Amino acid sequence: MRIGRYRLRLEKRLTLTGVEATLISILAIVFALALFSLIFVLAGISPLVAYREIFSYAFASPYGLPLTLNRFIFLLFCTSAFIIPFRAGLWNIGMTGQLFFGALGAFGVLLAFGAKGSRSLDLPTGLVIPLMIGAAAVAGGMLGAIAGLLKGRMNTNEIVVTMLLNFIAYWLVAHMIKEGGPFMNPGGRGESFELPPSAYAPSIMGVSFTIFLALGVAVLLYFLFARTRLGYQIKAHGQSPAAAQYAGIGTVRISLLVFVLGGAIAGLAGYHYFAAVPGVYKISRNYGYFGDLAFYGIISGLISLGNPLAAIPVALLFGGLSIGGRLVQGKMQLGFGMDYALLGVLMITLVAFQFFYRHRIVWAKARERGRKR
Amino acid sequence: MSEFIIRSLEASMIFTLAALGELIDQRSGILNVGIEGVMLFGSTLGFIVAQSTESYLLGFLVGIAIGGLLGLLHGFFSVTLGVDQVVSGMGIWIAGFGLTTYIGNPYTGPLGMERIPTILGLSPFFYIGIVLVVISWFVLSRTSLGLQIRSVGEDPSVAQVSGLKVTKTRYLCVTIGGMLGGLSGAVYSLFYNPVWNYNPLMGWGFVALALVFFSMWNPLILLVGSLLFGTLWQLSLNPQLVLPGVLSRYIWRTIPFAITLIVLILISTKWFRLRWGAAKPEALGEPYITE
Amino acid sequence: MGNSHMQKQLLEGIQRGDAVLEARGITKRFPGVVANEGIDFDIRAGEIHAVLGENGAGKTTLMNILFGLLQPDEGEIRMGGQRVEFKSPLDAIDLGIGMVHQHRKLVSAHSVIENIILGHPRARGILNLKQIEEELEELCARYGFNIDLHAKVWQLSEGEKQVVEILKALYRGAKLLILDEPSSALTPVETKKLLASITAMATDELAIVPFITHKLPIVLAISDRVTVLRGGKVTARFNTSHVTEKSLARRMVGRDVIFRTERADVEQGAPILEVEDLSAISDKGVLALKGVSFAIREGEIFGIAGISGNGQRELAEAIAGLRTAAGGRVILGGTEITRASVLERWNLGMGCIPCERLDMGIIGDFSLVDNVAMNYYFDEDFCERGVLDYAKLRALTERIISQFDIAAPSPDTKAKTLSGGNLQKLILARVLSRRPRLLVASLPTQGLDIGATEFVRNKLMEAKKDKAGILLISEDLDEVLSLSDRVAPIYEGEFMSILPGEKANREVVGAMMAGLRPEDGHNEDR
Repeated sequence: MRIGRYRLRLEKRLTLTGVEATLISILAIVFALALFSLIFVLAGISPLVAYREIFSYAFASPYGLPLTLNRFIFLLFCTSAFIIPFRAGLWNIGMTGQLFFGALGAFGVLLAFGAKGSRSLDLPTGLVIPLMIGAAAVAGGMLGAIAGLLKGRMNTNEIVVTMLLNFIAYWLVAHMIKEGGPFMNPGGRGESFELPPSAYAPSIMGVSFTIFLALGVAVLLYFLFARTRLGYQIKAHGQSPAAAQYAGIGTVRISLLVFVLGGAIAGLAGYHYFAAVPGVYKISRNYGYFGDLAFYGIISGLISLGNPLAAIPVALLFGGLSIGGRLVQGKMQLGFGMDYALLGVLMITLVAFQFFYRHRIVWAKARERGRKR
Repeated sequence: MSEFIIRSLEASMIFTLAALGELIDQRSGILNVGIEGVMLFGSTLGFIVAQSTESYLLGFLVGIAIGGLLGLLHGFFSVTLGVDQVVSGMGIWIAGFGLTTYIGNPYTGPLGMERIPTILGLSPFFYIGIVLVVISWFVLSRTSLGLQIRSVGEDPSVAQVSGLKVTKTRYLCVTIGGMLGGLSGAVYSLFYNPVWNYNPLMGWGFVALALVFFSMWNPLILLVGSLLFGTLWQLSLNPQLVLPGVLSRYIWRTIPFAITLIVLILISTKWFRLRWGAAKPEALGEPYITE
Repeated sequence: MGNSHMQKQLLEGIQRGDAVLEARGITKRFPGVVANEGIDFDIRAGEIHAVLGENGAGKTTLMNILFGLLQPDEGEIRMGGQRVEFKSPLDAIDLGIGMVHQHRKLVSAHSVIENIILGHPRARGILNLKQIEEELEELCARYGFNIDLHAKVWQLSEGEKQVVEILKALYRGAKLLILDEPSSALTPVETKKLLASITAMATDELAIVPFITHKLPIVLAISDRVTVLRGGKVTARFNTSHVTEKSLARRMVGRDVIFRTERADVEQGAPILEVEDLSAISDKGVLALKGVSFAIREGEIFGIAGISGNGQRELAEAIAGLRTAAGGRVILGGTEITRASVLERWNLGMGCIPCERLDMGIIGDFSLVDNVAMNYYFDEDFCERGVLDYAKLRALTERIISQFDIAAPSPDTKAKTLSGGNLQKLILARVLSRRPRLLVASLPTQGLDIGATEFVRNKLMEAKKDKAGILLISEDLDEVLSLSDRVAPIYEGEFMSILPGEKANREVVGAMMAGLRPEDGHNEDR
């Protein structure tokens, strides 16, 4: 392709530096946001105004910021859950189901303590909360283990397996919280029983303490991949299963492990949202919405190229966009589902930009005419 | 009871159409995990157009067209740009899921049009579906085009050396696959369940994907499989017909997925794997790079 | 049959003995090497004209040029007296050249007949197999082939698959059939059948050109003329009736010796590796290694000489732990390791240089440090409670880079930016730095330039002086002969013999590698 006196050529990349990757990712996000602004334009609203509203509410307002941060925690857990198998070359798109199971696990602990019957039950907070967190991780991990085991031993397609499990988990939750299920709210209403205040997760200014958990997990993961033996084995397997085999790294072990870890972390996302976010404290009627939000974890994971620390600002950004988007949606009377639409636009943009992670555009002075090739 | 059977057959036809499209895709070596997204687009846009223009024909045409376009897009990403086929497929699915939720929301509710006339109690699509299955089977196994498609999916380098155009063939299949996916989505929302709701398909696309694996890439087995799945699905919606009172209806809704999972596990076991492995298009999911 | 109009014109009226194809002055250069230099070559109708040469002699390049996969830099090709140019294999096919590749170019899942008609101009629209079947059966009858046209290719034996490819070329109207290593994957019985078929096929119109690396007996059995290539040039042209295998071997292998590494004399210790009746199955499901037994002592280099594909790879993998043995035992330093995992073997003192440098030995996107870690990640010295001591690994990598003179800007460079030679040095270094008691070295100098090759060989000598036992597998006969204390030529999965160093010379070993049993004066039909 020629532009003036220069010729554009596409060339496969040999290396991709961190700086280049970051730039491409940022470009992808900007591009997606620009594309997304079409929705505003179609509704007759200036995109700049809309985006300003979104960002100011999400990050600068005392109402929006805690919401954003809580959403950020949720997304960060989901992203971390996606990243671990991703580094091993495997796709975990079962965060939805894993987080549902996590929520079920946590609420199961509450049930065991008799919290269903009475809201004023005085529970030993220091005992219950860690138990809930543990149960959430275990439950999520178990669901993940199914996919990991099947993949490692029998090479079953992990995408189909995790998606099927997602749907199974979705309906299981419905069973548990609706009409006669074990977790049903005594008042009916198609949601689970509520958390007794004694089991509320501690929070600071409306932001749940799980923020430390989520950030801690992200940092730990970074450390895992950067420095540990296990992280090394996972990375090696993800890069080249043949070389990994030569070096004695077992496929079954790795597959199982990464899915258990990923599932456990996704389970924590479930604990976080349904048991630790102020104002929620139950498995709500619209739990499916949060299952869907988990897919942002895939996008964040891809944009951050599997780097757990890079995922932090990305998850924060998407958290803000999601919350701010909700506000703007109501305020400017746009249809429901803006964050879904944004999800869609982001994803498709990312897919297209995958190309740029692998190829670079080279400018070269075009050869003079008349010269033989 | 007969109502049950009819609904089962209708459901199975939707599975059939979507899975058939994916089968053709996969036979040429392209894996599209985003069928659900294609179906969602087909169903949502088809619904919107049909309702707005009061024309079923337009609705279906749009559904098919958007499906074909998405298939082309997937082909562009995976064949030409060389993006990982899984990433591209997931992109289409998530994009489909996200965008259709937003686009379709204002149209939530019943279609509000007169039902498409049925032949012998079944929609015309049932018969169209069966015809398409037979045609696909015939083309794939008895024509040179079918041989071409299959070869491209088994070993693109051999196909290339024998003079076949790998890229063109793959683009063709991926577009047809998309068209069928879009059609099946449109059939769902315009006939089977003419009410638009958030996430209307609820996982049908993934079941269709599993169906393709299960069918060992044979259109006839696919038909049988989707009849089974359609029945299973209807059963899960109306368990009282067979086992009244047993298990909550939500648990029943998990059954089709659970059975699909079990089927997937079965076909991964050693016994099956030999036959399945033999049937699997060798080059499925691998990008073919012509130097 | 699919004759193209052009072909009819070019080869009309060809009679037995007329030149079907003439190549003059064919030259082809690649960066760093001249693969073909001034090659003159002609093929006559009705003859079987064998082309002989070692790996790297230029056979494959010449063959690819004749088939249109490559274009020559200089020289021309004429068919039927007219100059032709092949821009792609399709051009060659249209003009009547058919090729049967060494590695099957068939779709395994399809039937024989489907493979034959793939891409054939006559198979359009709805396939009318009946008529095609009849024509194919006639073809089979003419040449004495016995193939079930409806069998699936994966069910066929190697020999039958080859017949299918031959049929495919013939059905497409080939007048000149190029066979690439036709018997390399065949058992002796199948080879016999194939030879009979080839002889039957060389009728009035058809010319057959088998390209062969070894298996000299075959060349003598069936060909009318032989052209020998070495170093990119034609070194001899014979009428087969006037030649013996010994003289052929001499022309193939030549007398050039680049240099001789001093074979260090080291006192050998106790056996470090004992292999008893080891068998292994190849990826294709065939028994590739048929019960070999041998032992390697400390301080000894045991060399396996053979053309690739004769079972040495399976042998190396079975000993390294990458392939389950089908039978027999492997004992390392007194401990049986037949079923041990890779790490267990490494911890017992085995080191392994993998034969596939890029796929198995290196992770391209990893830094050099991370690549070195492939042999160290499990080492307790380099790992504290699960955390890798990257400082130590880095220091090790830096030492390795300087000691082994690896051209890399820093230990953090990505491995894929390094040249093959430097990568091999890295692999060697990281394996040798563990001071293994047994080193399995597969193709250690493959693809390396002279400098790197010499370096690697010296390092192997050092390891030997360090009392390591070394199993050396190489396709470079010179290398095996100059480095090894004992040599075992391998042919079709068996050791032809185990020769002490003094008795192992080029002619003897070369002949054994090619299938001639020791003490054979003439070639015997095997």
